[in-house]
Amino acid sequence: MKEKEQKQIFEKWLIQYRALVFKIVKAYANSLEDQDDLFQEISIQLWHSISSFKGESTPVTWIYRISLNTAIKWSRKSTKHQHDPLEKVEHVLQESQIPIDPRLDWLYAQIHQLDEIDRSLALLLLDDFSYKEMSNILGISESYVGVKINRIKKQLISKLNTYNNHEI
Amino acid sequence: MKFEEMKTIWDTTNNEMLFGINEQAMHNMIHAKKEVGQHITNTSELLWIVVNIIAGSFVLGINLFKGSENVFMYLMSAWMFGTAFFLLASRVRRIGASKNFDRTMLGDLEHAISVAIYQERFSILGRWNIVPIGTLVALGLWDSSQSIWVLAGVLVFFILTIYASGFEHRIYKGRRKELESLKAKLAMPK
Repeated sequence: MKEKEQKQIFEKWLIQYRALVFKIVKAYANSLEDQDDLFQEISIQLWHSISSFKGESTPVTWIYRISLNTAIKWSRKSTKHQHDPLEKVEHVLQESQIPIDPRLDWLYAQIHQLDEIDRSLALLLLDDFSYKEMSNILGISESYVGVKINRIKKQLISKLNTYNNHEI
Repeated sequence: MKFEEMKTIWDTTNNEMLFGINEQAMHNMIHAKKEVGQHITNTSELLWIVVNIIAGSFVLGINLFKGSENVFMYLMSAWMFGTAFFLLASRVRRIGASKNFDRTMLGDLEHAISVAIYQERFSILGRWNIVPIGTLVALGLWDSSQSIWVLAGVLVFFILTIYASGFEHRIYKGRRKELESLKAKLAMPK
């Protein structure tokens, strides 16, 4: 693949699917430094992955696969970005000015409490992926996906009920 | 509340852009990357020029002093002077071309990419320059009737050097790709 073609695909992906990448960044990284770091890491991995993309899956599935695997590896790193607290750090990524629904913020907080694999499954579940697609993206069996999804659903619903009771 | 309600919250509100791109921070990061790239290129270029001139002069001096008739050593000295001259010319061209980039973020980024491409080519030159140097050293040793083991040792050393220099090349290649991915990010709507 020529580099010019690679660049065009990358630009197209980042324009069309950046909301997807942002969701993964928000689900896996808490502070702005970490979000910035993870976003850079995912962008680089997506760039490198273009030459291996043969069109056997849709771009969405491919981007999810690369981004989630990068996020899982990234969250397992023992040391992430460590900045001097006195150092003034500028971030490439910045929080959107559009106010976010507090319920969505709450949902992200709950997803963040799950382990790395369950976080991926929760995101894929909320984005309507089938068990088969989830199994392909994460490289785990469909039956295991089913078991985990049931657990995640139960866990989220129980937390949601507690949240609603507090709201009332 | 059911899971479907949670899904509705997700679907209705989550297609908003959660983040934006801070152009100034991106510009500063690009600028810093460009400065680092330029510094490394400048230093390694100068080092290569100086080392080739000194080594070439040393080999030539020794041969002249000893009145040696080993033609391969004279050729090696000439090759080293040629390499130093070629690098000097490339350096002048590179510095001249750097004035063509404007001070916008895209200009800085394109400059950083051109420096990275230069570093990549420079590392290829450095890598394959080992072949003529190694060949001339081996031929020089053979001409001066050195033992086969010395010859074999020297050849193994040069082969290992070619192999190791591949790592350096991959670092520069990775840096260029990273900068190009940043350029693509600039194309994103804010």
